[in-house]
Amino acid sequence: MELDHFLRDPQSRRRFFRMTGVGVAGASAVLLGACSDDTKNPVRLGPDESDQADVEILNGLLDLEFMAIAAYKAGAPKLGGERLGIVKVFLEQEQAHADGLSGSIEELDGKPNRAKSDYDFPVLRTEADVLRFALDLENTAIAAYIDALPKFSEKKLRSTAASIITNEAEHASVLLDALGREPVPAAFVTGKAA
Amino acid sequence: MAFVAITDGAASTAEVAAFERDRRELLRRGFGLGGTALVASSIPLLWSVRSAFAEAGGDGDAPILAKAINLERVTVVAYDSLIGGELLSPSVRRVLRRFRAHEQEHAATLTRSLTSLGGTPPAPPEGPADVDQVVEGLRDVRSQEDALSFLIELETAAVAAYFDAQAKLSEPKLLQTSASIMANEGQHLVVLRRRAGRDPLPNAFETGEQ
Repeated sequence: MELDHFLRDPQSRRRFFRMTGVGVAGASAVLLGACSDDTKNPVRLGPDESDQADVEILNGLLDLEFMAIAAYKAGAPKLGGERLGIVKVFLEQEQAHADGLSGSIEELDGKPNRAKSDYDFPVLRTEADVLRFALDLENTAIAAYIDALPKFSEKKLRSTAASIITNEAEHASVLLDALGREPVPAAFVTGKAA
Repeated sequence: MAFVAITDGAASTAEVAAFERDRRELLRRGFGLGGTALVASSIPLLWSVRSAFAEAGGDGDAPILAKAINLERVTVVAYDSLIGGELLSPSVRRVLRRFRAHEQEHAATLTRSLTSLGGTPPAPPEGPADVDQVVEGLRDVRSQEDALSFLIELETAAVAAYFDAQAKLSEPKLLQTSASIMANEGQHLVVLRRRAGRDPLPNAFETGEQ
């Protein structure tokens, strides 16, 4: 798939994220219960159900981190100089997020998802293509984490998710700057829904 | 690192002491405000900001919002003070004006949220002296380098406060709004760190620790 088509066509983006197994909002019954926005009548989950719901949310986010790691590895050969150095830092930080998510899932007695062996990424021909695709993935991750925040039962997971959102927003800022765009375009960072 | 190992704002005395030791060591080695003598009372900035948010807990989201509004307004005052001075290059002044506008937007949105909860916004800060509530040292800024270092301290304190707020807020939309503000403060940090010649991405988990 051509990158321009991918970036401009919402259906292509949705199909891509669904096909690659990224489904933070896709949910089991227990997760949908935890997702209720009705704060006046919140769904009460038992400890085991709460942990299970947190594990499902964390695994959805872990899928996104694995995808970002694969994307940066795939895009790195197109980059040189300072931009390659930047992407290496991004790669290390995404790996740190994935390790942290996996650790949290295990602490909740869950089984972390594994990285997929192959991702059907759009065609990335140039350095700018890599940066634009990376920016789209970072923005998708930001939106997914923000969507997940109120769904966590464990409050400390929210704080840590917010610390990852902030790091992904920092990546987005660096990528925007590398693309010659305003690095801090808005007062509220909300990302881009998959 | 496991997620659940990250502690919130109710930091233990030992952790705060360790944090202060680290900062004192950095200062001793000359990493303080661009080499300017940094007043000793600036050292425990995270402790003071985090204590404020920790004390705000226990009575719903409104007290936390009030603290956040005060933090944003104080940050606007700090930006105003530096933008109005003679220390900045035109390009840095332009960047700071933009960031100042973001802080103003945060304060306005948080104020609307607090009002919708039936709360009363705090009294606005009276001037630069009120910035000391968050980070002391604004009066010691003597150069653009000092200004950038001071703002890095201030934005870092804001990130720390919003990081802690995540474990204290209960309204879903407020959780999301505070995270989107925290992320914006992180983006400010990227630009400020670069302008100051520092590593723009020092932390995979941006918690407000330095």
